Amino acid sequence: MTPGSKQYLPPEVLARIGRLDLRARTVVDGVLAGLHKSPYKGNSVEFLQHREYTRGDDLRRVDWKVWGRQDRLYVKEFEDETNLRLFLLVDGSASMDYQPPRFAATQGLTKFDYAATLAASLAWLGLSQGDAVGTAVFDKQVTASVPARTSRSHLASLVKALEQPRQKQPSDFLAVLRGLAETLPRRGLVVLCSDLLGDREAIFKGLQLLRQRGHDLAIFHVLDDDELDFPFDGPTRFEGLELPEDLACNPRALRAGYLEAIDKFLVEARSRAAATRCDYHLVRASQPIDSVLVNFLARRNRLRA
Amino acid sequence: MPTFDFTNLLWWGLPLAAVPVVIHLINLLRHRTIDWAAMEFLLASQRKYRTRIFLKQLLLLLLRILAILGLVAVLAQPRWTTDLGLLLGGQQTTHVVLLDDSFSMAETLPDSAPKNNTQTTSTQTTSPFIRGRRLIARLLEELAATPGQQLFSLGRFSQFSSDRPPDRNGPDELTDQFDLREETVSPQNLTVLRRTVEGLAHSAHAVGPMAAIRSAIPLFSKGEGGVLWLITDLRSRDWLKAEPTAEILQPLADAGIEIHFVDAAALATEQPATDAEPRANLTVERLEMVGGVPATDVLLPWEVTLRNQGDMPAGPVALAIREDGLERPGLQVDGIPAGETVNVRFESRFPEAGGHLVEVELPTDQLAVDNIRTAGVFVVDEAEVLIIAEPTGSEADAGSDAFYLATALDPGAAAATGLSPRIESPRALAQLDLSRFDSIWLVDVARLDAAEREPLEAYAKAGGGVVFFMGPDTSAAEINDTLFREGAGLFPAPLAGPVDLLPDPRNPEAPDVVAENHPVVAVLSGRRNPFLDAVRVERYMAIKRDYEPPPESGLRRLLSLRNRAALALERPFGSGLGVAILTTAGPVWNNWARNNPSWVVVMLELEGQLARLRRQRETLLVGEPLEVVLEQGVDQIDVDFLLPPHGTTVRQVASTSADGELVAQLSDTNSPGGYLARWQTVSGGQRERVIAVNVNPTEGNLERIAKTDLDQVMAGIPFLYERAELLEPGDGNRSGTSLLRPLLLLLLCILLAEQALGFIVSYHPVRRSTR
Repeated sequence: MTPGSKQYLPPEVLARIGRLDLRARTVVDGVLAGLHKSPYKGNSVEFLQHREYTRGDDLRRVDWKVWGRQDRLYVKEFEDETNLRLFLLVDGSASMDYQPPRFAATQGLTKFDYAATLAASLAWLGLSQGDAVGTAVFDKQVTASVPARTSRSHLASLVKALEQPRQKQPSDFLAVLRGLAETLPRRGLVVLCSDLLGDREAIFKGLQLLRQRGHDLAIFHVLDDDELDFPFDGPTRFEGLELPEDLACNPRALRAGYLEAIDKFLVEARSRAAATRCDYHLVRASQPIDSVLVNFLARRNRLRA
Repeated sequence: MPTFDFTNLLWWGLPLAAVPVVIHLINLLRHRTIDWAAMEFLLASQRKYRTRIFLKQLLLLLLRILAILGLVAVLAQPRWTTDLGLLLGGQQTTHVVLLDDSFSMAETLPDSAPKNNTQTTSTQTTSPFIRGRRLIARLLEELAATPGQQLFSLGRFSQFSSDRPPDRNGPDELTDQFDLREETVSPQNLTVLRRTVEGLAHSAHAVGPMAAIRSAIPLFSKGEGGVLWLITDLRSRDWLKAEPTAEILQPLADAGIEIHFVDAAALATEQPATDAEPRANLTVERLEMVGGVPATDVLLPWEVTLRNQGDMPAGPVALAIREDGLERPGLQVDGIPAGETVNVRFESRFPEAGGHLVEVELPTDQLAVDNIRTAGVFVVDEAEVLIIAEPTGSEADAGSDAFYLATALDPGAAAATGLSPRIESPRALAQLDLSRFDSIWLVDVARLDAAEREPLEAYAKAGGGVVFFMGPDTSAAEINDTLFREGAGLFPAPLAGPVDLLPDPRNPEAPDVVAENHPVVAVLSGRRNPFLDAVRVERYMAIKRDYEPPPESGLRRLLSLRNRAALALERPFGSGLGVAILTTAGPVWNNWARNNPSWVVVMLELEGQLARLRRQRETLLVGEPLEVVLEQGVDQIDVDFLLPPHGTTVRQVASTSADGELVAQLSDTNSPGGYLARWQTVSGGQRERVIAVNVNPTEGNLERIAKTDLDQVMAGIPFLYERAELLEPGDGNRSGTSLLRPLLLLLLCILLAEQALGFIVSYHPVRRSTR
């Protein structure tokens, strides 16, 4: 099974799960069930136990001797060893609270909900394989933060931080990222989940600082379908979530210019991310999160290979 | 410059152009609000495309306004008149419309051209005349909307008929004949002109187009451009005449006048016919009293001739009969072969003296006007017959020739003939008013002096019938000198003298008398008749041997002798007839009058024939003037004419004619039916006369001329053939060109441009992959 062919969980379904930790677990279960090959193979060498073969296990880890004796398939599990420190940085600014009109009645996932679920899922994955995971939610400043730890019980603290009430201020990426670069004790993987709506110079300057500190960087650029496609029709008044301006217009007339501008923005984000050697992922808020995670993991696996 | 056929529609539709603006304003008020994150891109787009968006939106708005204006303009039927058109047509254009209003234009046709008339549907019927009237109204509308001075004249064929004098005589006869003459058509007087046209109705006349065309020619003499419209049903009888149609129209063609033949009787699916095209129609061609004496309680035989004008046999036909407006049992005619006639007879009896009308009617068919025919008959208590004989000792001498003749004409009460013979001496011819006698019979009269002869000849000239019997007293020389006068007199042929009919030794059994082919003796001809065979003629008055009657004399034999000598012959004289029976009336030179029934039969048939001549004058065709001759000194000069169908009374004063007669004339006999003339005598008595006026049955022939024949008739004359129900005014060569088609194309372009622009400025979902 390839990641593309898997039946992933659509965000609308996830939105019906109220608790973030359950949401993350649902996502991670899907991810683990869908992986043919563990991206973490070889990270452990000490044998831990045998476990009955389940679908999706790597055939190379099947203990053929046991099969020869008992005619049953068992896989060998090893004690993981890692020195990865995963720090999840979630943008909690006002622009992340965009609620598409199509979800106005059903209260679908906002970009922040999506980013938080994505972060929680990554945390679950990291903790489940013994990585140290920390997180921070920020807008103008860091509003909630949990340091990186490896304990499985640490997940509750992470989820709690992600669910903290937010100020919904415009983001101050540079200040937050600079602060983070100064405070993170060890090198690790910093994952930024944001719509990157703000001062692009400041964003990538801050990321550059983290990069200079030796951190591995990944960006989940979360945008709503509406922001990418601008499907509006009929007379509409747009009121800025972060900017003070508003605009009454016929969206059909502005669509071409808007798409042109956002394309330019995406190209710039992608190129500057590449320049900063960030692992950049543009994520639609309508994409299944497990699919995004699978892609992310597969890509990191390729990069590592 | 553009003009519109329906200007009112244009004014009502123009405000609709504001609809797109209003919709735009309403949309501005109905916007929704969205909290938007990526505001910077939206503002960037707005900054960048503000001008372009404004222009696109403005253009879209303008296109929508234009589309609505275009639609309104299409509905208002635009037309374009160029300066070039004005130059070609001149500032003044003369339109002369000649409308065929003969009654064949009343033919029933399916109405296949409802056009803009909302009252008509495909299930209704129309007639060529209604089509023509519609077309004229439409033409007037178009002319009213055309710049430049449009002179319009309208005339109907019947108003120019050569056999129909104009209703009024005035210094400008032409003005009276045209319904509209050189009227300047403008929107201001359009309603009045249209009302005039709508008030027109087809006539009961059978008239051709030539007189109307001749009268129209002077209207084009101004040297300006013009159009002649001939709206007609193109019947063969009107257009295949020997009259030089092309020659009459040549001056118009030379003057550059456009000639339009508008075919108002073409069927919807019909292409211009290549052969003459007959159409079904039954016509009552004749209704005539064919014998008897119109006296009270006398059976009068009538004969009706029905003609099938179509090319298919007609099935059983019910013929309705009315006497003085009252229905009586009708007749059933089994069938009429295509193109042929059928005669049917019926009898009527009138118990009261006076004028009576007999009317027969066919069921309604393609043409209703010719389905009715009327005959008038003036019934008297007794019809007087004058017998002139030389006086004998006693007046009712049982052995005299006059007695035998009087007995034959009035056999007695058991066989009522309605005749009242009156035996008088030749002197009575000068003393009596001969016009009151049904016929006059002269029996062996030796000589007539001028005072006697002249009234007799006047009587015959006026339509009376005079019969001469020979006898021992008859002088051939006297007759030749006074009554024949080398053919100028009343007597039919010159006499040689009395001759004995010698026995034929080779065929002693051969009958002496042979009936010739003549209606009077038709009952005796065709087979051997024992009564006629029994007639023996011993002596007769021979016709001059070398006499050769001129071909136009109309001399005709009734009876011949076995030696081929004439025994009875007739010759028209004026409107009347002179008949000579070249033997005696009594059994002097023959035995005919003695106990031979054929004597009575032939004498009564002959009397009926003579009297019919006078009665025929009581039947006229529509349009023929009705004349009543009054007796000077006896009748008053005021005559009231009661006109059909409603009995409208028209009083006419009699005047002395060129012949010296006192005549009251009614020229308005435009409606078929029974006319009654009523006047008073000086002594206070009242007199009346009934006259039947009928349509000309030849008009019932609905055969239409083939297009090829029309081309031949119009050889050398450029003309346009058009069909009334298909004619779209404005498509032809008239002033102004319809802008409908180009405007429709423009409207289509505007709508396509609007759709394209609308598509460009609108949102269309595109499946975008994750970037």
